[in-house]
Amino acid sequence: MKPVTAQIYEERMLRVLVHIQQRLDEEMPLAELARVAYFSPYHFHRIFRGMVGESVKGHIRRLRLERAAMHLKQTRRPVTRIAFEAGYETHESFTRAFRDWFSMSPSQFRKAHRSLLRKRVPSGVHFNPGGTRVAFHPFRKGGEPMKVEIKEMRPMRVAFVRHVGPYDEVAATWERLMTWAAPRGLIQPGAMFLGLCHDDPEVTPQEKIRYDACIAVDESFQPNGEVGVQEIAGGTYAVTTHFGPYSKLGETYAALCGQWAPQGGYEIRSAPCFEIYLNDPNSTDPEDLVTDIYMPLEDYRHVKA
Amino acid sequence: MSKPEKIDLCKQHKDEYVTPTKPVLIEAKPAPYLAIEGMGEPGGEVFQDRIGALYSMAFTIKMTRKFEGRQDYAVGKLEAQWWAEGGPDDFSKTPKSQWRWKLLIRTPEFITQADLDKAVAALTKKGKSPTVKQVRLETIAEGRCVQMLHVGPYDREGETVAQMLAFAEKQGLKCHGLHHEIYLSDPRRVPPERLKTILRLPVTKS
Repeated sequence: MKPVTAQIYEERMLRVLVHIQQRLDEEMPLAELARVAYFSPYHFHRIFRGMVGESVKGHIRRLRLERAAMHLKQTRRPVTRIAFEAGYETHESFTRAFRDWFSMSPSQFRKAHRSLLRKRVPSGVHFNPGGTRVAFHPFRKGGEPMKVEIKEMRPMRVAFVRHVGPYDEVAATWERLMTWAAPRGLIQPGAMFLGLCHDDPEVTPQEKIRYDACIAVDESFQPNGEVGVQEIAGGTYAVTTHFGPYSKLGETYAALCGQWAPQGGYEIRSAPCFEIYLNDPNSTDPEDLVTDIYMPLEDYRHVKA
Repeated sequence: MSKPEKIDLCKQHKDEYVTPTKPVLIEAKPAPYLAIEGMGEPGGEVFQDRIGALYSMAFTIKMTRKFEGRQDYAVGKLEAQWWAEGGPDDFSKTPKSQWRWKLLIRTPEFITQADLDKAVAALTKKGKSPTVKQVRLETIAEGRCVQMLHVGPYDREGETVAQMLAFAEKQGLKCHGLHHEIYLSDPRRVPPERLKTILRLPVTKS
């Protein structure tokens, strides 16, 4: 495998950042932003968050506030209008957001003899009136480098029950799968339990998150009532191990997609990630849970450099 | 994925399931187990078939009860008693194919024979092997035991057992029951040198 360089990742993210700066007043669906630089829409938000150090929404909100700050200093427009231009429906909500970021109210800021203040952000990206030049330093989390293994996986046949709703409610779905699997003798030492994650909880509204509770089965199993059968795609995967409660899986996903992949220059394939649960949450303390996270990668062996 | 009100026997009986890497004396109270017997090499075909039957029963009983809204609990760890025809000293002389064992999963007191019968019926209906009928509900009362945590491959348990026997002798105790193991690690995922297994020897005053 010959990974694309981290440099190319930066250039692509830069295109997204410029695109945002030039369209601060427009609605920007994530899929559109992902398309600007050929990122997989599946994983785009985590890549963005990892490289820029803020969510897309948070990034746009901050740039709009910085622009509003500039307008407060350089124009005599009423605060209510500036608030409206920054995307706030009321004076109060604008004031609250402004104070949260700049530690003073918009009117205090206008009166203060202070030049445009800028709170430093890790990415170095600030509102730029021209909208074309953007300084960008990819955010790098300190600490130990992640342990990641690249694995070639065969396709896997699984029986599954689909869960739609918040991740913290998947237990009931697992129970339905287990109730089906137990009398079929599928729950055994060595049985493989997987979670197929179709949605990023930072992007998809809680009640719409799709998650498949899966157990690996052989060819003899056919769909049965609410239990479906599907094949998880084989191919190249980046695999890392998450230690601790399931509620903190998101942090490991973010580090894998947003830090490890861009820094190593690995291209993430447009397919869902999955998790393999290595111990039983029914008899294991949350701190002792061990979960492998599989992130699909493009296979560069088939691509000409 | 866990609920706080769940019964976990390993946590309820910490004195029996948390053990240091040096021999200690414990009191194993009478406890019900799902049990299945057999003879043959550990990991061999018969052994795997019996493990499959035991786990199928354990989880079918649990999930059936849960589905009926009855008290939930965590399925316990795999345990096993081992013996060879000639007694405890005979393991090294007996070929593994002649080793006898009883595979166990500790189970809450409220599980009854009716739960087992229902699970057998459900498994049979789904075409599972008839071996599940051999799983019995059994109370095992070991009383006073020498216990020690063995860390490492199963093949090197001899060294740990030797320490346990030396300890028992010093206390004026001798073995009078079956060699009992509690498997804390999954051998598919944990390298042999880090496998954790509790070894238990019932003892009595000599």
